[in-house]
Amino acid sequence: MSYFKYVAMAYAVFFLVLAWDFIVPRLQIRQLLREARGRVARSKRSNSAPTDEELSR
Amino acid sequence: MFKALVGWFHKLGSPPYFDSFAARWAPWFYLASLPLFAFGLWQALAVVPADYQQGDSFRILYIHVPSAWMSLFVFGLMAFYSAIGLIWRIKLCEILAMACAPIGAGFTLITLLTGSIWGKPMWGTWWDWDPRLTTELILLFLYLGVMGLYGAIDDRRAAARAAGLLAIVGVVLLPVIRYSVVWWNSLHQGQTIRMFGESSMDSSMILPLWLMVLATKFWFAGSLLTRARADNLRREVGKAWVRERVEKSA
Repeated sequence: MSYFKYVAMAYAVFFLVLAWDFIVPRLQIRQLLREARGRVARSKRSNSAPTDEELSR
Repeated sequence: MFKALVGWFHKLGSPPYFDSFAARWAPWFYLASLPLFAFGLWQALAVVPADYQQGDSFRILYIHVPSAWMSLFVFGLMAFYSAIGLIWRIKLCEILAMACAPIGAGFTLITLLTGSIWGKPMWGTWWDWDPRLTTELILLFLYLGVMGLYGAIDDRRAAARAAGLLAIVGVVLLPVIRYSVVWWNSLHQGQTIRMFGESSMDSSMILPLWLMVLATKFWFAGSLLTRARADNLRREVGKAWVRERVEKSA
């Protein structure tokens, strides 16, 4: 193939950008769901903890 | 039928419904783009004969042209969603408009870089301040401006409105890019491929181009839904429906 170096470079750029476009929003969704799970866990912990130490003793 | 469509559109505006819709349909759009990419790339790289003047370097066209078309199409769509978001204050349209920006920026970057890579062996230079190249570079800056403005303001809705306004103003650049090769003496070649009417490109070379055009459209649909879902979740992360969904999936 003539100009192989240039063709390969161009296609590499194309696939790199598409890979970035595919991966980044997935990572964002995963991080947001992790954050939501953290919020749920925190609210569960605070609900199960005794609200008044003196009264529960 | 029309009533059902309007009802569905209203339902789509609900964040939990949109989340389910995007999570369900985005993978199918990506999946639909894969065979088109595979067949198109096989045709482009292995089947189509080399150009008699440019040799194999012309194969760069099969990623350059669809990306260039997408860079314009996505900007137009972003401005359209922004206008709807500004006029009718539809939150989903603001989200969709802002989700368009990074995808469009990606396609614009591909256009500029692949064009530059093609230009080196054909024009003897990586870059020239040619009207088409310069206006496409301005388009990339506009995309980056929209993304930057959206990220710079804390209130998501105010940010989307400000960035949307920039997108609407930026639309004036699209016809300038499109007709830059007609209005000015340009190093960039004129229009060779026509959607309607006869193209000056040989018919044996056109099929992979249309396959790649279609593949990038499906890819864009998948990416748009995924990015819009991420933004929707970011805005709603503390809401009860997200908590319920997370608890259900745990």
